[in-house]
This record gives sequence, structure tokens and C-alpha cells, in this order.
Amino acid sequence: MDEIVEGHTVKAYDGALSELRRRAHRMGMLVSQQVETAVRALLESDREAAELVLQREQQINAWQSEIEAESFRLLARQAPVASDLRTVLAVSRAVTDLERAGDESKKIARFALASAGRGATGPSRVMHRPLRHMAELASESMRVAVDALDRGDAAVAHEVARLDREIDQEFEAALRQLMTVAMERTRLLKPVFDTVFALKSLERIGDHAKNVAEHVVFLVSGADVRHAGAARAAAARDTQH
Amino acid sequence: MSTEQTSPGTPEGGPRHAPPPHAADGRTATPRPEIEAGRASASEEGVVVKSRAENLSFHYGPVQALKGLNIEIREKRVTALIGPSGCGKTTFLRCFNRMHDLTPGTRYEGRIMLYPDDFDLVAKTVDPIEVRMRIGMVFQKPNPFPKSIFENVAYGLRVRGMRSKLRIEEEVEKALRRAAIWDEVKDRLDGSGLSLSGGQQQRLCIARALATNPEILLFDEPTSALDPIATARIEELIAELRDQVTVIIVTHNMQQAARVSDYTAFMYLGELIEFDNTSKLFTNPSKKATEDYITGRYG
Repeated sequence: MDEIVEGHTVKAYDGALSELRRRAHRMGMLVSQQVETAVRALLESDREAAELVLQREQQINAWQSEIEAESFRLLARQAPVASDLRTVLAVSRAVTDLERAGDESKKIARFALASAGRGATGPSRVMHRPLRHMAELASESMRVAVDALDRGDAAVAHEVARLDREIDQEFEAALRQLMTVAMERTRLLKPVFDTVFALKSLERIGDHAKNVAEHVVFLVSGADVRHAGAARAAAARDTQH
Repeated sequence: MSTEQTSPGTPEGGPRHAPPPHAADGRTATPRPEIEAGRASASEEGVVVKSRAENLSFHYGPVQALKGLNIEIREKRVTALIGPSGCGKTTFLRCFNRMHDLTPGTRYEGRIMLYPDDFDLVAKTVDPIEVRMRIGMVFQKPNPFPKSIFENVAYGLRVRGMRSKLRIEEEVEKALRRAAIWDEVKDRLDGSGLSLSGGQQQRLCIARALATNPEILLFDEPTSALDPIATARIEELIAELRDQVTVIIVTHNMQQAARVSDYTAFMYLGELIEFDNTSKLFTNPSKKATEDYITGRYG
């Protein structure tokens, strides 16, 4: 990462830019951990783990505000251009996605608390494997995206996009499975709903990780790839008609 | 006169109002293959080339200050020249109105074509006075003549043979209005040009340059001696002039280049490193040297 950021004639500016990325990286790592902890809280009805997620969520929010304030200050005082400008914008956009991914973990932790409070057993056993698997994928894609942000490595975007597709497929499969459960055992409707919400949150976290990776592509190359997939799909539709 | 024109096979200073057959082709803003640095995505629909430096080199005695520059200047657009001190940007700017002719031992090579009439500004057969009739210049430090405000602007008109008092008054007012200073000076046109503030003096100099309807207006760091408000007024003025005249501006203030120009040329050690749309160059430059310079990683 230092290769891109350092070398300014004004050393303090160098430091501020590397620090900005370092802080976004630290925030992203915590978000990635949150996903795992929240899902563990849900699966094991672990109140402590759920409380920990809620507590760390405040830290994540505070870091978001700090990083955005610092980006704002750098824009005003250093008037960054070229890769410096892209760094500030990309980090600023990335922390928005990180904060939202953090919110999704918080939602999962809330379900965990609520179901533990009801003395319920949480999601039905059959859902443990897909939940765990999706949590691993979501957490992994977040880690990969945040590492890429730290290192300025746009090549990783493909890997994150692949993980996101995998998460989406897993989500679809889990929904089908849950629908069967719901139809067969209406008694389990409430835990099924909770599980669907948790899965949806994990799916969203995958989307946020993908967004972070797209911000990295922008940081490195200046290209906006956020809607490239949608544009390709629209073009494909147009040619079909 | 120690200037020397060494470009071979140049139709030196051809007739001004008889464009040769290829002139129309030469003016579309698609650079010729040999214009390497200018080939970036700077070409824009409907933009006409006003001037083109072709393999332009310049020597101060034994020192070569410009090394084979190829660059297109687009009509009614603002082109900024940026680069570290000594990169040749001011030297290049000064070629456009033959300011170097006053310095002994200097030598031009290559051409600076002015269109539509294929007029080579640096051809040795071309009289620098004729060049300066067509290309105006505004300097770093405001330099009004020690005469009245009116005379500062009227002088150029008289030199060009305008005799009618009424006509001159009209043109002076027009130029002062174009330079956005009329309202401030209309009640004291007989006052000394030197009695004005720095920013006003600079706008007076711009009015003086505009009075004779130049085809290109050159600005050599026009705001480096001004405060931020006077600077903003000059920048706004440049934005307004953009519809009327082709502008080339040398500036050390990168943010100024980013604010006022349509195209930016980054020069280093007498060479053109990168030429592109200003937005592109300041958000995603193609060359590492450009990136290093504009982000402050030089030296």
C-alpha cells in the first residue's frame, strides 16, 4: 500500500493518506469478525456473543464518523488530485458499505438475543449448515475486499464477485429448503422467518463486500465498475428482443 | 534579429488569407499520428484546432529549452500549461508571440501553425509585430502603461491605425466591459492606470489585450501577484472569455489549472509528457510522471 500513498513532498500528507487506509482496514476487519460472532450467537443461542456484537457495533459507527471526518478534512485542506483523490473517495465510500455490513451483523445479533430470550432453540437444526456456510463466505469476502483496499489490489475484485455469486446461490438454495420446512411444520414459522432474515442479512453483507471491492477498482484504475454487470445484463436483454 | 527558422520544407509565413487546400483537414481535432502525446482522449466533437506546435524546439544559445513539442491548441477553449519550474512552459507560451526575439542567441526549430490560414508564427520571415497583432499576452505582474485608463486600452487601437475618436471610445468601452472592469472605471477613465488595485490593473491589462481582438490570448501566471478574491475574478473572467477567444495559460497553481482550463498539458524538462482533458488529467492521469507531479510527489 505504501507504494501508492507515500512519496509526497509534504510528509504529513503521506501519513494522513496511509492512516486513512489503515483505519478503513481496521474497521473492515472488525466488520468481518462481527459477521462470524453474530452468526455464532444465533446458532448457539449465545447471549454474550450477541451482546459483544452490539457493543462493537458502536465502535464501528464511531470509526465510520472519524474516517469520514478525516476524508472531509483532507479534501478541504489538501485538495487531493488523481490517485490521492480516488483514495479519499474510495475509502469514504467503502466505510459507508462497511458500516451497513456492520448493521446487518447487528440485526443478526438482535435475532439471536430475541430468540435466546424466548428460550427458543433458534433456527431449526437443518438451517445450521447453510447459515454457517453463508456466514463463512460473507466474512471471507469482506476480509478479502478490505485487504484489497489496504493493498490497493484491484485484481481481487473478481474473487470477491465470485464469492458474492456463491453467497447468492447459497441464499437461493437455503430459501427453497426453508419454504419446505415452513410448509411441512407451520409450528416452526417463527424460527423460519428469523432464519430468512438472518440469511438475507448475510446476503447483503456479501453485496457490501462486493461494493468495497468495486471501490478498490475505482481507487486503483479510476474505472467505475459498479453497474457494469447490470449494464451487460440490459444489453443482453436488448439483443434478445 | 538572432532568431533562426530551421524547419525544412516549410511554406514560411505563407499568405495570411489564402488557406492551402489541406488546411481544413488539418484543423479537425484528431491529432496526426506523429502527435504522440496529444493522442489521448482529448479530442472532442466539434472542436476546431486553432493552433498547432509541430516538432517545436527552442534554444537559448547552447541550452535547449523545448524538445520537439507537438501540441494542439483548440479554438475557444482554455489550455493550461503546467509543470515544475524550468520545464519550459513559459518558454513555450512566449513562442506564441515571439517574445524570445528580443533575447540574443535564441533559436526556434519546427513550427507553430495558426489556423485557419496556415500561418507559421515562428517562421523567420514572419514579422514578430504581425504575430503580436494576432496573439495577445497578459503577464504575471500587471503592467499598465503610466497613462490614463482610457489610453491604456486605446493605445493598441491607435497603433493599428484607428483614427475615429468615436470608434475608439466605443472599442475601449467594449474591451473594458469584456474584461469585467467597466463598471469600476467608467467614471474615471482619465485617471492613471497605476491608480488601480492590483486585480483591477490586471483586468485593465486584459482589456488592453482584448481591445485589438486577438485570436489567442496568452496568460503567464496572471494571478500569482493577486489575492484570492482578485484571483477568483480573473478566473471567472477567463471562463467568460472562453466563448470569444482561444486562451493558453501558464500557471503554477494546479488547482487553478483544474478550475479554469478545458485541456491541460503537463511539461517536464522541455518535453510534453501528457496532454488531455483537464478532468481526466486531474482525476486519472495516464502517465506516472504526471501523477507524481500533480499529487505533489516531486523533488
